[in-house]
Amino acid sequence: MPKPSDLLQGTLDLLILKTLTRDPLHGWAIVKRIQVLSDEELSVGQGSLYPALHRLESQGWIVAEWKESDQGRSAKVYSLTRDGRQQLERELATWKRLSTAVGLLLKRA
Amino acid sequence: MSAVRFLRIARQRLTALFRPGAVERALDRELAFHFDALVREKMAAGLPERDAIREAHRDFGAVRTIREQSRDALGLTAVAGIVDDARYGWRLLRRAPGFTTVAGLALAVGIGATAAAAGVVAFLLARPLPFASGDRLVRISTTAVDGTLFPRTVSIHQYRAWQAHATTISALGASRGGSFVIADGVEPSERVQGQAFTPSLFTVLGIRPAHGRVFDAVADPFDRRARVAIISYRLWQRRYRGATDAIGRRIQVDGASREIVGVMPEDFRLQSDNVDLWIPLIFAATPADGQAQDMPLLLVTARLGDGATIDGARAELEGIARELHPERPAPSLDLASLRETLYGWTRPRLATLGAMAALLLTLACANVAALLLARGALRRRELAMRVALGASRRRLVRQLLTESLVLGLTASVPAALVTWAGLRAVAAALAPPPALPRLAAVTPDAWVFAIVATLCVLSSIGFGALPALAASRVDATDVSVTSYDQRLHSRRVPRWRSRLLIVQIALAEVLLVAGALLTISYLRLSGRELNLDPRGILSFTYTLRANDVIQPITAADGRSAFTIGSTGTRTFSDLLSRLEAIPGSGIVGAISFPPVNSLVVPMVSAIRVSPSGDRPMKVAYFLVTPKIFAALRTPVLAGREFDARDARGGPPAVVVNDAFAALCCPDGVIGQHLRLDVGDDEPVREIVGVVGSVPTRLDQPAVTPAVYVPYLQHPLQYRGIAVGMFAGMTFVLRTDGDAAAVLSAARAAAAAITPDRPLDEIGTVQAHLYARLGDRRSYVLALDTFALLAALLAIVGLHGVMTHDVVGRTNEIAVRRALGARGREILALVSRPSAAVIGCGVGIGAALALAASGLLAPQLWGVTARDAATFTGITLSLMAAASLGGVAAARRALSVDPASGLRRD
Repeated sequence: MPKPSDLLQGTLDLLILKTLTRDPLHGWAIVKRIQVLSDEELSVGQGSLYPALHRLESQGWIVAEWKESDQGRSAKVYSLTRDGRQQLERELATWKRLSTAVGLLLKRA
Repeated sequence: MSAVRFLRIARQRLTALFRPGAVERALDRELAFHFDALVREKMAAGLPERDAIREAHRDFGAVRTIREQSRDALGLTAVAGIVDDARYGWRLLRRAPGFTTVAGLALAVGIGATAAAAGVVAFLLARPLPFASGDRLVRISTTAVDGTLFPRTVSIHQYRAWQAHATTISALGASRGGSFVIADGVEPSERVQGQAFTPSLFTVLGIRPAHGRVFDAVADPFDRRARVAIISYRLWQRRYRGATDAIGRRIQVDGASREIVGVMPEDFRLQSDNVDLWIPLIFAATPADGQAQDMPLLLVTARLGDGATIDGARAELEGIARELHPERPAPSLDLASLRETLYGWTRPRLATLGAMAALLLTLACANVAALLLARGALRRRELAMRVALGASRRRLVRQLLTESLVLGLTASVPAALVTWAGLRAVAAALAPPPALPRLAAVTPDAWVFAIVATLCVLSSIGFGALPALAASRVDATDVSVTSYDQRLHSRRVPRWRSRLLIVQIALAEVLLVAGALLTISYLRLSGRELNLDPRGILSFTYTLRANDVIQPITAADGRSAFTIGSTGTRTFSDLLSRLEAIPGSGIVGAISFPPVNSLVVPMVSAIRVSPSGDRPMKVAYFLVTPKIFAALRTPVLAGREFDARDARGGPPAVVVNDAFAALCCPDGVIGQHLRLDVGDDEPVREIVGVVGSVPTRLDQPAVTPAVYVPYLQHPLQYRGIAVGMFAGMTFVLRTDGDAAAVLSAARAAAAAITPDRPLDEIGTVQAHLYARLGDRRSYVLALDTFALLAALLAIVGLHGVMTHDVVGRTNEIAVRRALGARGREILALVSRPSAAVIGCGVGIGAALALAASGLLAPQLWGVTARDAATFTGITLSLMAAASLGGVAAARRALSVDPASGLRRD
């Protein structure tokens, strides 16, 4: 199982933004969602997650709000902003270019 | 970046800056929530609580690292850095109280002066007028096309035609100023400033009385409903003590009874600050009803219609006026926004004050920058240490700029105080108080403080950037630099310091020249020959009801014309003889308008009767009693004063002033004949005397040519608009007794003739003179203060930098002294750089002043903008003063002990 630090720079941002497209989530739920959606292949450590979340927040891509969680405690819930959605489009495009290029190289080399 | 995103980010940064604790707590809560979720998950998988917590701790990793990284991402670290820098900067400032005081005061003065000027600009030219959509209001006046005397008038016909036909304006109103005597049988009667308003003007301005109602729109000026008045809040409080039943009471206004129907709001001002009474201005349906067609001194105010522009409205109104009088020359209208007509004329003085203040602020910034550069050299070791410990250059610049900001913000407190005082000073320097409505109420508000804060921040960057860049140019090896050392001074720093000194001296020269030129103008203006002796004169104005003296008639060509009855001269003669009978009244004379500083002086055209037929001249026209020149001590230069010969029926005579004599007949004036264009029955007059020219306006440079006519020989059919002169005179008493006793006897004398006509404008001519020069004096004083502060700052700055220089060269000087250099040689050595700086600064400053002083030319009198004596004098004085500052610093070099050089290294 690859560690997040092994992920390419910027990929974590992409994963977080993508995870938040459907509905707002708190940090714990983001970790779980990434795990579930990647069939337990990807696991994001909290050590990387929170700095990344806060960086995205200070960039204005996502906004946070304190909400009651299902366990009855208030949790900081993040949601995607309109600007964040555009950023996600850009990151997706970059990602696709990159993975195509890597795929080509692996096939041809 | 989208605006939403920008705002979002800005809000986060501000939260991090101002509520860092809250952000930290949120971070902790968030991580705690995650941790608990982890523990719960492990317990759900079957671990006991203790093991679950232990494993969770292991999985979670170093909480501190996560927090640090998140704090970075949230901007908390940067904020903490800035706060630390600021704290450090504050400690540095407190450790150097001398530097802090000098720099802080320099900045406070520059920022305060600039903010005060900017505050007044904002008040006059930017803030909305206190009328509904005030920026849609315009003033209309006709410009002279046929050389009429008062160029800015509008005829009643034009007004009516515009009101009926114009589509570019949605409402039209007119007003006229005047003064009225009010009486009510309870309080003593008094004279107040008043305005006649058309009922429509209230609609145009969108205002309502605070109590009561506006005027009824009636068509007939003799309608009972037109016999009403509205009083000012001030008058209501003063005369009626705010009684609610003041509305409905009756009041005598110039002898006619009117009902008070309203009280204006306390802050209502239109033309000036001192209006206390408003009466309806109703135009008769036809001129035959008793009103002349031309309405002199009518101020027409209009509200532009939707979508209309000033130019569009001008074109339409001119078209309407042309159709009205196709036989007259095409009228040319002057339309300007109401704001422009109320405040635009203050622009030259306001611009000068603002420009001078901005130069002073620039100078202060250069001054502080030079001080900081010098300190930067001293701190080289500390900064090198920071670099050695891993600080980037960017980090150093940020630290130094933060320190500058702390200095700028420290200066903001005294700067706000200077601004507070400066607003009043600027207001007083623009105009005499009542002339600029509402300006007396200017107070520092949120706007002004926002200006102060902005200037503080901007100037912090202005004076901080260069020293920060220069000082951050260190490398880690400089740690070994010991105290004062040649290496302290990289070659760039002294060069920049010299440039900053040159800037200061040059700016000081510019400000001094401007201040000197305006001061000389003021002194020449106030000290010029008045041709009257203002000391010891008692003067007052006595006015009859106009209707008792003057009857309007309709003239064939539409110009105003009046018949003048004999009531006026009879009453004035009566009062004159009663005044002369008062013991101690001395010499008593009277003149139709105050001899100096009258706001209105009727101008008439005068033609010398000669075979060749001279060109007409515009002259000031006064009616006078025989002893007026003796009472004023105006010198009779040739011929004679008026006397008993110059009565009605006597030979028509006229006395002229020497300004007129010089223009009219340089080849001998006595015995020449003049025709004055004042009325159909006006005879040709013989010039019987020449008197010294009394300046009609003390605050205006030109001396007006004037003619004086015996009051008993006034025209019986007057054509013109200054009819007021037949109903009132200013009496001048050169008393030789107790002025107070004479005055009360004079009051009794006037009351014996006409009980309801009080004496007005009682005072001395001297007080009258200074009242009108006051604003010019404040203006010049403000500019001189700027200039002197500028010079002081520049010299203090030079002294500081030179002292620094000498201290930096202690070793060199010690060695030279040890080798036998004499004191004078040392002095010459260390003074040389300051001499170069002073020479350069003064030269550049003089060149700048030469290039720019032309802008001041319209404000100068009796001195040219490039007056050589002024330039030389200022340049030499500044050089001398600055050299003294330099030498004072250089003298430190003499106290250097030759042995100290040996001890240091």
